[in-house]
Amino acid sequence: MKYAFKAMGGPCVFRIKARSEHIAYDHAQAAHEEVLRLERRYSRYREDSITSTINASAGKNSVSIDEETYRLLNYADTAFKVSGGLFDLTSGVLRRCWDFRSQTLPNQDEVERTLTRVGWAGVRFSKGEVFLPDIGMEIDFGGVVKEYAVDAALALLKKRKVEGALVDLAGDIGAFSNDPGTPWDIGIKHPRSPEKAVATVQLANSALASSGDYERCIVIGDRRYSHILNPKTGWPTNNAPLAVSILAPNCLVAGSSATIAMLMHSSAARAWLSELGIPWLLVDSDLNTYGTLAGI
Amino acid sequence: MGSNTLDKAKSPALAALLSSAVLLPAYQSAQADAPPESSEIGFRYGKYQEDAVAGGDTLSGEKSGRYDIDVAQFNLIVPVGDSWSVGLTGQWESMSGASPWFSVYGADGQQKVIMSGASIEDHRAEYGVEARYFHEEGNIGFNYVNSKEDDYHSDSIGADASLNSADGLRTYSLALSTSVDKITPTRGVAPTNTLKADKDIHSIWMGVSQIINDRSIFNLGLGYTQRQGYLTDPYKYRDNRPDNREELVLSGGYRHFFDDQNGALQADYRYFIDSWDVESHTLELAWVQNLNNDIQVTPFIRGYNQSQANFYSDVVVDTGGYYSDDHRLSSYSTVSYGLRLKKNFGPWRVSATAERYESAEGGWRYSQVPNKALVDFWGYSLGFTYNF
Repeated sequence: MKYAFKAMGGPCVFRIKARSEHIAYDHAQAAHEEVLRLERRYSRYREDSITSTINASAGKNSVSIDEETYRLLNYADTAFKVSGGLFDLTSGVLRRCWDFRSQTLPNQDEVERTLTRVGWAGVRFSKGEVFLPDIGMEIDFGGVVKEYAVDAALALLKKRKVEGALVDLAGDIGAFSNDPGTPWDIGIKHPRSPEKAVATVQLANSALASSGDYERCIVIGDRRYSHILNPKTGWPTNNAPLAVSILAPNCLVAGSSATIAMLMHSSAARAWLSELGIPWLLVDSDLNTYGTLAGI
Repeated sequence: MGSNTLDKAKSPALAALLSSAVLLPAYQSAQADAPPESSEIGFRYGKYQEDAVAGGDTLSGEKSGRYDIDVAQFNLIVPVGDSWSVGLTGQWESMSGASPWFSVYGADGQQKVIMSGASIEDHRAEYGVEARYFHEEGNIGFNYVNSKEDDYHSDSIGADASLNSADGLRTYSLALSTSVDKITPTRGVAPTNTLKADKDIHSIWMGVSQIINDRSIFNLGLGYTQRQGYLTDPYKYRDNRPDNREELVLSGGYRHFFDDQNGALQADYRYFIDSWDVESHTLELAWVQNLNNDIQVTPFIRGYNQSQANFYSDVVVDTGGYYSDDHRLSSYSTVSYGLRLKKNFGPWRVSATAERYESAEGGWRYSQVPNKALVDFWGYSLGFTYNF
């Protein structure tokens, strides 16, 4: 059964195997509701979201948070530490000086001014509350919530004992199958021609997340400026990969690992991914593909 | 045993991310520290060949062969349900050859070794079973091991637990074990020091491992072991040791991954001290090199240095007090070096090692005492594991 909807900034699809179409549809609706719940709670575009409340209180007071938000912040903190500061939930404010629609570069003064409001290390959080130290600072759960929603929707479907399910939220994909002999085939988009698959992988009980600059970028001459901005410089990383896809036990880890790799120089990203020891695919700026998933 | 799919040693960054992620509510129905996803079966064969004692170092003046040991190992680990795994291990050893019986001073004024009658044959069989429970923040294991030789019987039980911190960057571990051993010497024609004796061993180990960043991890450990009962070697001439031995071990390890080389440096140090005044230092350095085609090559070198026990003597004394001329209780140092190889073929993993071990009297920190019985050996092993 195929169930399509729009959420998390893109087209989403559930494919569910259950005893009947009717039952599968019920399960899909429940999983859809779970995705919407997370979107409502963490979207920075909604005034009533916890993200907006935290950001509005920046530099003023701490905000009380629930267990799930605390664990998301805690996960982001781990990703910040293991990436040497590349994965930073506060880097979203850099978008204010980068206008990918106008295709013009920001000036350095503007970038430096904005950078003073970036810095996960200054964020204080505990089991009950979170505090952003400076007015104008923001956190953006965008880098974790879509991936977490894939896992949450899948967990819900598992709890409902469907036979198999594939959850695709705007390109971040998780799957499980009660019968490991019948995995789901997934094509990984080519970074320059998204309709073409650069590799195909089989998901049985795992997740695939991709990060790439084909979504949004600025092109000046022969130089591409990715929308993935380095929180240390405020600019895209030089010679960063064009696209990274990672297969991991869950989508959250796959997604954040892909984001971290996208913030590194291509050769550093390759070394980091092979040390990580999970299946990966990297396309560099010369369109060479690397990784354990390449050529499959 | 007790390994899990996170394979912490392989990538600290991945381990930290996974264990931090699984604390989120969506994964709470799944298990945080999860049992292995597939079953694993492994076989390993190892051979140890001790160098002969030179003719000039034996009282008879003849070169004497020493031990050859063949070891076959088997292990199986199977996930059971969502939160348990069960493991079985077996090990069979076959030893043959001669070992030093005692030493005296020869006509030339030099220490000479007298070997036990040639061709001792001994076999040891060991069986173990382990159950492990995985929960949100760590895992707990219980094990039982039985070991049998013609002249030695041991039963041991153990429990261990590990706990991951909320950010996934730190793991605490604790292990306890106790064993009851029975000694009934049967070997050889010479009279033995006892006909029947008992020994108990209790030990505790505490450790912490900390991920510093995505490239490096370090660990610290502290262990205490108490051995009580008959600790004398039943076969060594006039050997007589205290019936209590307390040991303390402090260890530290560091691992750092280098991007440009696609390899990791591992450094491990271990300090040991016991109530017999034996003190030792072990330092191992290894370089883990990842190569294409899923091959890993690891050259390593290890240095070891120990002081002698307070009742060690290089030649038989007959004061009626404690005495041993066991080379393992003398002051000596060793250097070992070798190569470990690993390659994955789909569900198969092949591993092989070759190691050379050489020992010398005295060394770095401790005085030199004559000891012609110190051992040098070659060790080899070849193993296969299969996941299904």
